[in-house]
Amino acid sequence: MTIKMKINFNYIILIAAALIIISGCERDDICIDEITPHLTIRFYDNDDQITFKKFEQLSVKILGFENDSINFSLTDSIAIPLKTTDDVTQFILTLDSNESTFNRDTLTVSYDREDIFVGRSCGFKTIFNNADYTLSTGSENWILDTESVTRIIDNETNAHVKIFH
Amino acid sequence: MLKYFINILFFLSSLVLFSQQNKTQLNDTIIKNKYGLRVGIDVFNPISTFFDTKRKGLELVGDYRVTRKHYIAVELGYMENTTDEDFFNFTTNGSYIKAGFDYNAYENWLNMENAIYVGFRYGFSTFSQTLNSFTVNNDPFLDDLAIVENGQKFDNLSAQWGEIVLGIKAEVFNNLYLGFSFSGKKMISTKEPIGFKNLFVPGFNRVFLNDSGFGFNYTVSYLIPLYKKDK
Repeated sequence: MTIKMKINFNYIILIAAALIIISGCERDDICIDEITPHLTIRFYDNDDQITFKKFEQLSVKILGFENDSINFSLTDSIAIPLKTTDDVTQFILTLDSNESTFNRDTLTVSYDREDIFVGRSCGFKTIFNNADYTLSTGSENWILDTESVTRIIDNETNAHVKIFH
Repeated sequence: MLKYFINILFFLSSLVLFSQQNKTQLNDTIIKNKYGLRVGIDVFNPISTFFDTKRKGLELVGDYRVTRKHYIAVELGYMENTTDEDFFNFTTNGSYIKAGFDYNAYENWLNMENAIYVGFRYGFSTFSQTLNSFTVNNDPFLDDLAIVENGQKFDNLSAQWGEIVLGIKAEVFNNLYLGFSFSGKKMISTKEPIGFKNLFVPGFNRVFLNDSGFGFNYTVSYLIPLYKKDK
Protein backbone atom coordinates (compact mmCIF):
# COMPACT_ATOMS: atom_id res chain seq x y z
CA MET A 1 0.00 0.00 0.00
CA THR A 2 1.31 3.41 -0.90
CA ILE A 3 0.83 6.35 1.35
CA LYS A 4 1.26 9.73 -0.21
CA MET A 5 2.14 12.69 1.96
CA LYS A 6 1.05 15.35 -0.37
CA ILE A 7 -1.16 18.37 -0.44
CA ASN A 8 -3.51 18.78 -3.33
CA PHE A 9 -1.87 21.99 -4.48
CA ASN A 10 -4.01 22.76 -7.48
CA TYR A 11 -7.01 23.13 -5.24
CA ILE A 12 -5.18 25.38 -2.75
CA ILE A 13 -3.72 27.61 -5.46
CA LEU A 14 -7.11 28.03 -7.10
CA ILE A 15 -8.69 29.13 -3.83
CA ALA A 16 -5.78 31.38 -2.93
CA ALA A 17 -6.12 33.10 -6.31
CA ALA A 18 -9.85 33.57 -5.74
CA LEU A 19 -9.14 35.09 -2.32
CA ILE A 20 -6.65 37.54 -3.81
CA ILE A 21 -9.17 38.59 -6.44
CA ILE A 22 -11.97 39.33 -3.99
CA SER A 23 -9.51 41.00 -1.63
CA GLY A 24 -8.63 43.59 -4.23
CA CYS A 25 -10.46 46.00 -2.02
CA GLU A 26 -10.76 49.70 -2.49
CA ARG A 27 -9.79 52.15 0.16
CA ASP A 28 -12.84 53.93 1.45
CA ASP A 29 -10.99 55.93 4.09
CA ILE A 30 -10.66 59.05 1.98
CA CYS A 31 -13.67 61.28 1.55
CA ILE A 32 -14.05 62.17 -2.12
CA ASP A 33 -17.83 62.62 -2.27
CA GLU A 34 -19.67 65.91 -1.99
CA ILE A 35 -20.14 67.03 1.59
CA THR A 36 -22.24 69.92 2.96
CA PRO A 37 -22.76 72.38 0.08
CA HIS A 38 -21.64 75.99 0.29
CA LEU A 39 -23.94 78.87 -0.46
CA THR A 40 -23.03 79.95 -3.97
CA ILE A 41 -23.60 83.61 -4.83
CA ARG A 42 -23.33 85.10 -8.31
CA PHE A 43 -22.79 88.84 -8.72
CA TYR A 44 -24.66 90.72 -11.46
CA ASP A 45 -24.74 94.26 -12.78
CA ASN A 46 -27.76 96.06 -11.37
CA ASP A 47 -28.20 98.15 -14.51
CA ASP A 48 -28.05 95.17 -16.85
CA GLN A 49 -29.38 92.28 -14.81
CA ILE A 50 -28.20 89.48 -17.09
CA THR A 51 -24.54 90.48 -17.07
CA PHE A 52 -22.08 89.25 -14.48
CA LYS A 53 -20.23 92.00 -12.66
CA LYS A 54 -16.99 91.41 -10.83
CA PHE A 55 -16.08 93.18 -7.63
CA GLU A 56 -12.59 94.40 -6.75
CA GLN A 57 -12.32 93.09 -3.24
CA LEU A 58 -14.85 91.50 -0.89
CA SER A 59 -14.54 90.27 2.65
CA VAL A 60 -17.14 87.91 4.12
CA LYS A 61 -17.63 87.57 7.83
CA ILE A 62 -19.97 85.01 9.34
CA LEU A 63 -21.83 86.33 12.35
CA GLY A 64 -20.80 84.26 15.33
CA PHE A 65 -17.37 83.60 13.86
CA GLU A 66 -15.89 87.01 14.40
CA ASN A 67 -12.27 85.98 14.44
CA ASP A 68 -11.82 85.34 10.74
CA SER A 69 -13.17 86.52 7.45
CA ILE A 70 -13.01 84.99 3.99
CA ASN A 71 -11.53 87.25 1.34
CA PHE A 72 -12.31 87.27 -2.35
CA SER A 73 -11.00 89.49 -5.08
CA LEU A 74 -11.82 90.14 -8.73
CA THR A 75 -14.55 87.55 -9.18
CA ASP A 76 -18.28 87.44 -9.84
CA SER A 77 -18.95 84.19 -8.00
CA ILE A 78 -18.30 83.13 -4.41
CA ALA A 79 -19.05 80.04 -2.30
CA ILE A 80 -19.38 80.47 1.47
CA PRO A 81 -20.22 77.94 4.20
CA LEU A 82 -23.56 77.82 6.01
CA LYS A 83 -23.90 76.92 9.68
CA THR A 84 -25.05 73.35 10.27
CA THR A 85 -25.70 73.99 13.96
CA ASP A 86 -28.22 76.78 13.43
CA ASP A 87 -31.17 77.48 11.11
CA VAL A 88 -29.84 80.93 10.27
CA THR A 89 -26.50 82.18 8.96
CA GLN A 90 -25.75 85.90 8.73
CA PHE A 91 -23.04 87.11 6.38
CA ILE A 92 -21.48 90.55 6.62
CA LEU A 93 -20.34 91.35 3.11
CA THR A 94 -17.82 94.16 3.13
CA LEU A 95 -16.89 95.64 -0.22
CA ASP A 96 -13.42 97.11 -0.57
CA SER A 97 -12.67 96.20 3.04
CA ASN A 98 -9.03 97.25 2.75
CA GLU A 99 -9.92 100.76 1.77
CA SER A 100 -11.33 103.58 3.84
CA THR A 101 -14.41 103.75 1.64
CA PHE A 102 -15.52 100.26 2.58
CA ASN A 103 -19.21 99.46 2.51
CA ARG A 104 -20.82 96.83 4.69
CA ASP A 105 -24.09 94.96 3.99
CA THR A 106 -25.66 92.00 5.75
CA LEU A 107 -27.20 89.01 4.01
CA THR A 108 -29.29 86.73 6.21
CA VAL A 109 -29.99 83.20 5.03
CA SER A 110 -32.53 81.10 6.89
CA TYR A 111 -33.32 77.49 6.08
CA ASP A 112 -34.46 74.07 7.26
CA ARG A 113 -31.65 71.59 7.76
CA GLU A 114 -31.68 67.98 6.64
CA ASP A 115 -28.84 65.57 7.51
CA ILE A 116 -28.01 63.02 4.83
CA PHE A 117 -25.66 60.05 5.14
CA VAL A 118 -22.94 60.08 2.50
CA GLY A 119 -20.60 57.21 3.34
CA ARG A 120 -18.04 55.75 5.70
CA SER A 121 -15.32 58.33 5.13
CA CYS A 122 -17.48 61.42 4.56
CA GLY A 123 -20.07 60.75 7.24
CA PHE A 124 -23.10 63.00 7.15
CA LYS A 125 -23.73 66.15 5.17
CA THR A 126 -26.44 68.73 5.63
CA ILE A 127 -28.61 70.04 2.86
CA PHE A 128 -30.69 73.19 3.26
CA ASN A 129 -34.34 73.42 2.25
CA ASN A 130 -36.76 76.37 2.12
CA ALA A 131 -33.91 78.84 2.04
CA ASP A 132 -34.83 82.53 2.41
CA TYR A 133 -32.39 85.28 1.54
CA THR A 134 -32.90 88.65 3.23
CA LEU A 135 -30.85 91.75 2.72
CA SER A 136 -30.78 94.12 5.66
CA THR A 137 -31.37 97.49 4.14
CA GLY A 138 -29.82 100.70 5.38
CA SER A 139 -28.37 103.78 3.83
CA GLU A 140 -25.53 103.45 1.38
CA ASN A 141 -26.13 99.82 0.38
CA TRP A 142 -23.66 98.52 -2.17
CA ILE A 143 -25.91 95.53 -2.74
CA LEU A 144 -28.85 96.99 -4.56
CA ASP A 145 -30.97 93.85 -4.85
CA THR A 146 -30.96 90.10 -4.38
CA GLU A 147 -32.84 87.41 -6.23
CA SER A 148 -33.35 83.81 -5.11
CA VAL A 149 -32.44 81.27 -7.78
CA THR A 150 -33.32 78.21 -5.75
CA ARG A 151 -34.62 77.58 -2.25
CA ILE A 152 -32.95 74.17 -2.08
CA ILE A 153 -29.23 74.23 -1.39
CA ASP A 154 -28.12 70.66 -2.04
CA ASN A 155 -25.25 71.10 -4.50
CA GLU A 156 -22.69 73.65 -5.60
CA THR A 157 -23.00 73.36 -9.35
CA ASN A 158 -25.36 76.30 -9.79
CA ALA A 159 -25.72 79.62 -8.02
CA HIS A 160 -28.33 79.74 -5.28
CA VAL A 161 -28.77 83.50 -5.06
CA LYS A 162 -28.01 86.50 -7.28
CA ILE A 163 -26.64 89.76 -5.93
CA PHE A 164 -27.03 92.91 -8.01
CA HIS A 165 -24.57 95.68 -7.44
CA MET B 1 1.82 10.94 22.73
CA LEU B 2 4.36 11.18 19.94
CA LYS B 3 1.54 11.36 17.45
CA TYR B 4 0.14 14.46 19.09
CA PHE B 5 3.55 16.00 19.41
CA ILE B 6 3.95 15.60 15.67
CA ASN B 7 0.49 17.04 15.20
CA ILE B 8 1.38 20.11 17.22
CA LEU B 9 4.46 20.53 15.05
CA PHE B 10 2.19 20.21 12.05
CA PHE B 11 -0.01 22.92 13.45
CA LEU B 12 2.86 25.30 14.18
CA SER B 13 4.68 24.73 10.94
CA SER B 14 1.61 24.73 8.78
CA LEU B 15 2.09 28.23 7.47
CA VAL B 16 5.40 27.35 5.92
CA LEU B 17 4.64 23.73 5.20
CA PHE B 18 4.82 22.84 1.57
CA SER B 19 5.26 19.95 -0.76
CA GLN B 20 6.91 16.91 0.60
CA GLN B 21 6.57 14.35 -2.11
CA ASN B 22 7.62 11.37 -0.01
CA LYS B 23 6.55 7.94 -0.96
CA THR B 24 6.69 5.36 1.76
CA GLN B 25 6.02 1.70 1.38
CA LEU B 26 4.15 -0.01 4.14
CA ASN B 27 3.04 -3.57 4.32
CA ASP B 28 -0.65 -4.27 4.63
CA THR B 29 -1.45 -1.67 7.22
CA ILE B 30 -5.13 -1.02 7.55
CA ILE B 31 -5.64 2.61 8.42
CA LYS B 32 -8.96 3.62 9.78
CA ASN B 33 -10.23 7.17 9.93
CA LYS B 34 -12.44 8.57 12.62
CA TYR B 35 -15.82 9.83 11.50
CA GLY B 36 -18.04 11.92 13.67
CA LEU B 37 -19.33 15.27 14.75
CA ARG B 38 -16.78 17.93 15.67
CA VAL B 39 -18.01 20.80 17.81
CA GLY B 40 -16.04 23.77 19.00
CA ILE B 41 -15.80 27.40 19.83
CA ASP B 42 -14.08 30.32 18.19
CA VAL B 43 -11.64 31.88 20.64
CA PHE B 44 -10.58 34.75 18.41
CA ASN B 45 -13.42 37.03 19.46
CA PRO B 46 -13.18 36.36 23.22
CA ILE B 47 -9.42 37.03 23.02
CA SER B 48 -9.81 40.18 20.94
CA THR B 49 -12.30 41.49 23.50
CA PHE B 50 -9.34 41.81 25.86
CA PHE B 51 -7.56 44.19 23.51
CA ASP B 52 -10.56 45.87 21.95
CA THR B 53 -13.60 46.22 24.15
CA LYS B 54 -15.61 47.56 21.24
CA ARG B 55 -15.96 44.05 19.93
CA LYS B 56 -17.84 41.31 21.73
CA GLY B 57 -18.82 38.04 20.19
CA LEU B 58 -19.21 34.33 20.48
CA GLU B 59 -19.17 31.75 17.73
CA LEU B 60 -19.87 28.04 17.86
CA VAL B 61 -18.44 25.89 15.11
CA GLY B 62 -19.33 22.39 14.03
CA ASP B 63 -18.57 20.02 11.23
CA TYR B 64 -19.63 16.54 10.24
CA ARG B 65 -17.44 14.29 8.16
CA VAL B 66 -19.29 12.83 5.19
CA THR B 67 -16.50 11.36 3.07
CA ARG B 68 -12.79 10.89 3.54
CA LYS B 69 -12.19 14.46 2.40
CA HIS B 70 -15.49 16.26 2.71
CA TYR B 71 -17.09 17.83 5.75
CA ILE B 72 -20.38 19.64 6.20
CA ALA B 73 -19.61 22.75 8.23
CA VAL B 74 -21.80 25.15 10.18
CA GLU B 75 -20.98 28.23 12.26
CA LEU B 76 -23.39 30.01 14.58
CA GLY B 77 -22.50 33.29 16.15
CA TYR B 78 -23.50 36.45 17.92
CA MET B 79 -21.68 39.76 17.74
CA GLU B 80 -21.85 43.26 19.16
CA ASN B 81 -19.40 45.67 17.59
CA THR B 82 -18.89 49.41 17.82
CA THR B 83 -17.25 51.10 14.86
CA ASP B 84 -15.67 54.51 15.33
CA GLU B 85 -15.29 56.47 12.12
CA ASP B 86 -14.00 60.01 11.63
CA PHE B 87 -17.42 61.62 11.53
CA PHE B 88 -19.69 59.11 13.27
CA ASN B 89 -19.88 56.18 15.64
CA PHE B 90 -22.27 53.24 15.45
CA THR B 91 -22.93 49.90 17.11
CA THR B 92 -23.93 46.74 15.27
CA ASN B 93 -25.74 44.02 17.14
CA GLY B 94 -26.90 40.70 15.75
CA SER B 95 -26.50 37.02 15.09
CA TYR B 96 -25.53 34.95 12.10
CA ILE B 97 -25.34 31.48 10.66
CA LYS B 98 -22.93 30.15 8.07
CA ALA B 99 -23.32 26.79 6.37
CA GLY B 100 -21.28 25.03 3.73
CA PHE B 101 -18.61 22.42 3.31
CA ASP B 102 -14.89 21.92 3.79
CA TYR B 103 -12.58 19.94 1.55
CA ASN B 104 -9.46 18.54 3.17
CA ALA B 105 -6.67 18.92 0.64
CA TYR B 106 -4.11 17.34 2.93
CA GLU B 107 -3.14 13.67 2.60
CA ASN B 108 -2.61 12.45 6.13
CA TRP B 109 0.23 10.25 7.10
CA LEU B 110 -0.77 6.98 8.75
CA ASN B 111 -3.68 7.43 11.13
CA MET B 112 -3.32 11.15 11.65
CA GLU B 113 -6.35 13.36 11.35
CA ASN B 114 -5.00 16.77 10.38
CA ALA B 115 -6.40 19.04 7.78
CA ILE B 116 -5.41 21.80 5.41
CA TYR B 117 -8.72 22.65 3.97
CA VAL B 118 -10.62 24.94 1.70
CA GLY B 119 -14.29 25.56 2.12
CA PHE B 120 -17.29 27.47 0.94
CA ARG B 121 -19.95 29.04 3.10
CA TYR B 122 -23.25 30.73 2.68
CA GLY B 123 -23.79 33.28 5.42
CA PHE B 124 -26.91 34.93 6.70
CA SER B 125 -27.24 37.52 9.43
CA THR B 126 -30.01 39.49 11.08
CA PHE B 127 -28.98 42.54 13.04
CA SER B 128 -29.61 46.14 14.04
CA GLN B 129 -27.48 49.25 13.71
CA THR B 130 -27.47 52.02 16.28
CA LEU B 131 -26.11 55.37 15.21
CA ASN B 132 -24.58 56.62 18.46
CA SER B 133 -23.35 60.03 17.37
CA PHE B 134 -22.21 61.98 14.35
CA THR B 135 -20.79 65.32 13.29
CA VAL B 136 -21.91 66.97 10.09
CA ASN B 137 -19.11 67.15 7.57
CA ASN B 138 -19.06 70.86 6.75
CA ASP B 139 -16.43 73.33 5.59
CA PRO B 140 -13.65 73.14 8.21
CA PHE B 141 -13.56 76.97 8.23
CA LEU B 142 -16.71 77.03 10.34
CA ASP B 143 -15.16 74.64 12.84
CA ASP B 144 -18.66 73.71 14.00
CA LEU B 145 -17.84 70.11 14.73
CA ALA B 146 -20.56 69.76 17.31
CA ILE B 147 -21.20 66.11 18.04
CA VAL B 148 -24.84 65.23 17.54
CA GLU B 149 -25.85 62.56 20.02
CA ASN B 150 -28.26 60.55 17.99
CA GLY B 151 -29.04 57.07 19.25
CA GLN B 152 -31.23 56.34 16.24
CA LYS B 153 -31.73 52.59 15.91
CA PHE B 154 -32.25 50.78 12.62
CA ASP B 155 -33.93 47.43 13.23
CA ASN B 156 -34.80 44.33 11.20
CA LEU B 157 -31.78 44.47 8.93
CA SER B 158 -30.35 41.43 7.21
CA ALA B 159 -27.57 40.38 4.90
CA GLN B 160 -26.49 37.30 2.99
CA TRP B 161 -23.08 36.56 1.58
CA GLY B 162 -20.71 33.94 0.21
CA GLU B 163 -17.43 32.98 1.78
CA ILE B 164 -14.26 31.16 0.78
CA VAL B 165 -12.37 29.66 3.71
CA LEU B 166 -8.73 28.58 3.91
CA GLY B 167 -7.65 26.90 7.12
CA ILE B 168 -5.88 24.23 9.00
CA LYS B 169 -6.87 21.92 11.83
CA ALA B 170 -4.57 19.76 13.90
CA GLU B 171 -5.40 17.07 16.41
CA VAL B 172 -3.31 18.17 19.38
CA PHE B 173 -4.71 15.62 21.83
CA ASN B 174 -6.97 12.68 21.32
CA ASN B 175 -10.08 14.08 19.62
CA LEU B 176 -9.14 17.67 20.53
CA TYR B 177 -8.40 19.97 17.64
CA LEU B 178 -6.87 23.40 17.26
CA GLY B 179 -7.46 25.27 14.09
CA PHE B 180 -7.30 28.58 12.41
CA SER B 181 -8.77 29.85 9.24
CA PHE B 182 -8.91 32.89 7.06
CA SER B 183 -11.96 33.79 5.04
CA GLY B 184 -12.69 36.10 2.17
CA LYS B 185 -16.29 37.20 1.83
CA LYS B 186 -18.44 38.78 -0.80
CA MET B 187 -21.85 40.27 -0.07
CA ILE B 188 -24.76 38.92 -2.10
CA SER B 189 -27.51 41.18 -0.83
CA THR B 190 -28.32 43.36 2.16
CA LYS B 191 -31.38 45.01 3.55
CA GLU B 192 -30.06 48.52 4.07
CA PRO B 193 -31.38 50.96 6.66
CA ILE B 194 -33.05 54.11 5.34
CA GLY B 195 -30.76 57.06 5.97
CA PHE B 196 -27.75 54.95 6.94
CA LYS B 197 -25.69 52.08 5.56
CA ASN B 198 -24.64 48.59 6.69
CA LEU B 199 -20.95 49.27 7.13
CA PHE B 200 -20.52 46.37 9.52
CA VAL B 201 -22.39 43.08 9.50
CA PRO B 202 -22.08 40.38 12.20
CA GLY B 203 -20.25 37.38 10.75
CA PHE B 204 -19.11 39.43 7.79
CA ASN B 205 -17.20 42.12 9.69
CA ARG B 206 -16.36 45.41 8.04
CA VAL B 207 -18.10 45.81 4.70
CA PHE B 208 -15.61 47.32 2.28
CA LEU B 209 -16.66 49.63 -0.53
CA ASN B 210 -16.73 46.84 -3.11
CA ASP B 211 -18.91 44.66 -0.82
CA SER B 212 -16.06 42.40 0.24
CA GLY B 213 -14.94 41.42 3.71
CA PHE B 214 -12.44 39.36 5.65
CA GLY B 215 -12.48 37.16 8.67
CA PHE B 216 -10.13 35.30 10.92
CA ASN B 217 -11.02 32.39 13.17
CA TYR B 218 -9.11 30.55 15.83
CA THR B 219 -10.98 27.50 17.00
CA VAL B 220 -10.75 24.83 19.66
CA SER B 221 -12.96 21.87 18.88
CA TYR B 222 -13.69 18.36 20.09
CA LEU B 223 -14.51 15.40 17.89
CA ILE B 224 -17.32 13.15 19.05
CA PRO B 225 -16.32 9.98 17.20
CA LEU B 226 -19.26 8.02 15.89
CA TYR B 227 -17.62 5.30 13.82
CA LYS B 228 -14.40 4.37 12.04
CA LYS B 229 -14.00 3.67 8.41
CA ASP B 230 -11.21 2.46 6.15
CA LYS B 231 -9.33 5.09 4.29
